[in-house]
Amino acid sequence: MNAIEHLRDTLRAIVGPAGVISEPTELRTYECDGLAGYRVTPALVVLPSSSAEVAEVVAACHRAQIPFVARGAGTGLSGGALPVADGVVVSLQRMRAVLEVDPTNHRAVVEPGVTNLAISQAASAYDLYYAPDPSSQQVCTIGGNVAENSGGAHCLKYGFTTHHVLALEAVLPDGTLVWLGGDSPEVAGPDLRGLVVGSEGTLAVVTKVVVRLLRKPETVRTLLADFPSIEQAADTVTGIIAAGVVPAAMEIMDQLAIEASEAAVGAGYTLDTPAALVIELDGPADECGELFETVQKICHANGTTKIRIAADDTERARIWTGRKAAFAAMGRISPNYFVQDGVVPRTRLTEALSTIAAMGAEASLRVANVFHAGDGNLHPLVLYDESRGEHDRAEKLSKAIAELCVDLGGSLSGEHGIGTDKACSMPVMFGKEDLATMDRVRRAFDPDGLCNPGKVLPTPRLCGEKPGPYRPHPLEAAGVIERL
Amino acid sequence: MSSSVSDRMQARDVPTVRPSDLRQARDLMFEAARSGQRVLLHGAGTAQSWGAPVGDVDVVLDTTGLDQLLAYNPADMTVAVGAGMSLAALQERLDGQRVALDAARIPLGATVGGLLATADGGPLRATYGTLRDLVIGVTVVLADGTVARSGGHVIKNVAGYDLTKLFSGSLGTLGLVAEVVLRLHPLPEATATLAVPCDVAAGFAHATALLACPLEPVALDWHEGRLLIRFEGTRSGVATRVRKAVALAASGEVLEGADETAVWQALAGTVVGGDGDTVLRAGTRPDLLPQLAARLDALTTGPSVKATLTSSVGIGVHTVRLRGGQPAEHAAVLAGWRSEVLAAGGSVTLHQRIPGLDELVGSWGRAPATAPLLRALKKRMDHDERLGPGRFAPWFA
Repeated sequence: MNAIEHLRDTLRAIVGPAGVISEPTELRTYECDGLAGYRVTPALVVLPSSSAEVAEVVAACHRAQIPFVARGAGTGLSGGALPVADGVVVSLQRMRAVLEVDPTNHRAVVEPGVTNLAISQAASAYDLYYAPDPSSQQVCTIGGNVAENSGGAHCLKYGFTTHHVLALEAVLPDGTLVWLGGDSPEVAGPDLRGLVVGSEGTLAVVTKVVVRLLRKPETVRTLLADFPSIEQAADTVTGIIAAGVVPAAMEIMDQLAIEASEAAVGAGYTLDTPAALVIELDGPADECGELFETVQKICHANGTTKIRIAADDTERARIWTGRKAAFAAMGRISPNYFVQDGVVPRTRLTEALSTIAAMGAEASLRVANVFHAGDGNLHPLVLYDESRGEHDRAEKLSKAIAELCVDLGGSLSGEHGIGTDKACSMPVMFGKEDLATMDRVRRAFDPDGLCNPGKVLPTPRLCGEKPGPYRPHPLEAAGVIERL
Repeated sequence: MSSSVSDRMQARDVPTVRPSDLRQARDLMFEAARSGQRVLLHGAGTAQSWGAPVGDVDVVLDTTGLDQLLAYNPADMTVAVGAGMSLAALQERLDGQRVALDAARIPLGATVGGLLATADGGPLRATYGTLRDLVIGVTVVLADGTVARSGGHVIKNVAGYDLTKLFSGSLGTLGLVAEVVLRLHPLPEATATLAVPCDVAAGFAHATALLACPLEPVALDWHEGRLLIRFEGTRSGVATRVRKAVALAASGEVLEGADETAVWQALAGTVVGGDGDTVLRAGTRPDLLPQLAARLDALTTGPSVKATLTSSVGIGVHTVRLRGGQPAEHAAVLAGWRSEVLAAGGSVTLHQRIPGLDELVGSWGRAPATAPLLRALKKRMDHDERLGPGRFAPWFA
């Protein structure tokens, strides 16, 4: 009996025969996440039902020195849940109970397989909700959100998963079950909960999540403003921030994105406008109304050609449908596309977008833009046609766009994660010592390299012997910061 | 304010080095590593008494020379500074914006790096968190001289591990925080505080009722027989919300201007403590407040020790100050109250102590289940265990 067969029997004893998948055809269901370009079939998939079972499963993998990858709904966009060949996928899909909603203490305790939206639904009876709202919230799981430190359209005001998770029950890579964080944000010693949030499943397997719930705002006001250019829309965003207003969300779509979205869902966006800006304010009614007036004035000052104000919840939902449909709708205007996730400082949005347009023109490819303008998180969609042999050119352009964001003082990824997809680009953003320090953290948790290996940090196997030369950060080049 | 550690260092004639930029800081840490020196990282010295007393060290690294404003981008609402800059000095440089942190020791000169390393916060923590939530990029120097960055200059960023979190609460034991990039928030147009006289149980009940309404107080603290409810926003918006909060409370006094400032300063005074006080901070589930306050009363029935408790009611962050009496009495209160908090799943960090306390009771409670992991992290970051030795004893070296 080989090591995998032996482990299969051990796992069957832990979770029962029905909880272990080893048939090649069934295994293929797990071969990729939302980034379908990367595919690896795992040796086994195991579906534990409790924290204790996860701990036993991980301990068994650790004893056998076989790598494992935790997986939620598989909606990730960076290959973070890509299996390891000859390794185990630990699916958390059987752990989907909302264990407790505590309205007095404004929190909920949930299992990792619970969807993001289900938390807000469970809390809704108490006028509470869970703030981070990634576009995939109907299907993505809280365990995956913790792994990716997910944001969503409203993170400008409300922050990311890390700001809303109080505690995690987690299985360390040797199978030890621990609690990280606590019942209060005040804890003693280093913030291990914060370290694990956003670590892309490389430090631990999360088995319970204690989330903070917020009181629903009294009012939500939403508008959709058309602009004659992307620049004017971006200037409006800057103007609103400069006025001291912190909207819940500010989202920009360009004409290509609007065209695709309208073809898919017909949310009533203006088809021939070069740019549309969605602005949402929430909070106490009087204040929200007052600031909503300010925001409209700033839109007019920047040359808006049309403002549509959502009169009720239905119309607000319609505006958001148009925005949230944009990604999936790209299929309407292009057979294939890459999504990027780079971030630039808000004040460099205009520069980033015009450079991206020029890069697209040079590569003879169309680039659609849908982005979280308030926090500078771009989602350029590089459109291409595989059948015309455009794949490699599009991939190259997409990668160049992510690296452009770093050049402009930003980041490779705002919310999708590094995963498999961008691990080899990490040296563009971080130096050797930075990456080596991150690796020290990883080894403190996982000295044997078993927990989601090959993700986040570049490895020679993945990226070639040399992970690319270090390039000075633009702020270093400008003398603002020093590398040494 | 106890500065016993600094005093001891001076008394023992421990040499102090004071780098004025990142390169010097790196060189000094590298030099200390080469000669095997144990290092005490020292900012303004406002929190040197936190945790367990540091043992013998060979050199004190004073961070206050790392006080440069590196880049201020008002339109992006970010600022990069040397971590030795005092937060109060930084606030003065910001135009219509702020670092949304109001830890009690900021007016005493606390540095940005020190505030991150202590994970300290004040009443605003209920809305804005601590520096762990406001720092978007960090540069650290490890014990061996390695200079490492994580994060960057943008608010939204998930590339790589977030070392800011690891250093939050590390109390100078994992490395030197040398540079920090912060997210800023707009200064509010108006603020007002409603002070409602009540005992702690009524205060908690009232806070719960208030938090069930969409009034969005920015801070909600119980202190010295009053629930303090602070609102921030536009002028008319704050006025409206205060009116609604008064109606809900059916009593209370609205404080603005100097009166408002004074009531929050008094709260900060409790948190900072004075010479000879013992001060500790606990984190628990918020609804344990009445029970923990009662337990504290029961432990301090004697005539000599006076316990003062203040709590950020919505988030379960409590600070207790013990004043007067003998070290043995302080030790008994600390041990008794801490065991109650730990049994309820909470945490306690000692901020300062009456002289003589350490001979009677440990600075930390029982080790958490994560202690082996903390030890592993310590070994990877500071292999020879030379930084702030003893600070977390007996959890790790």
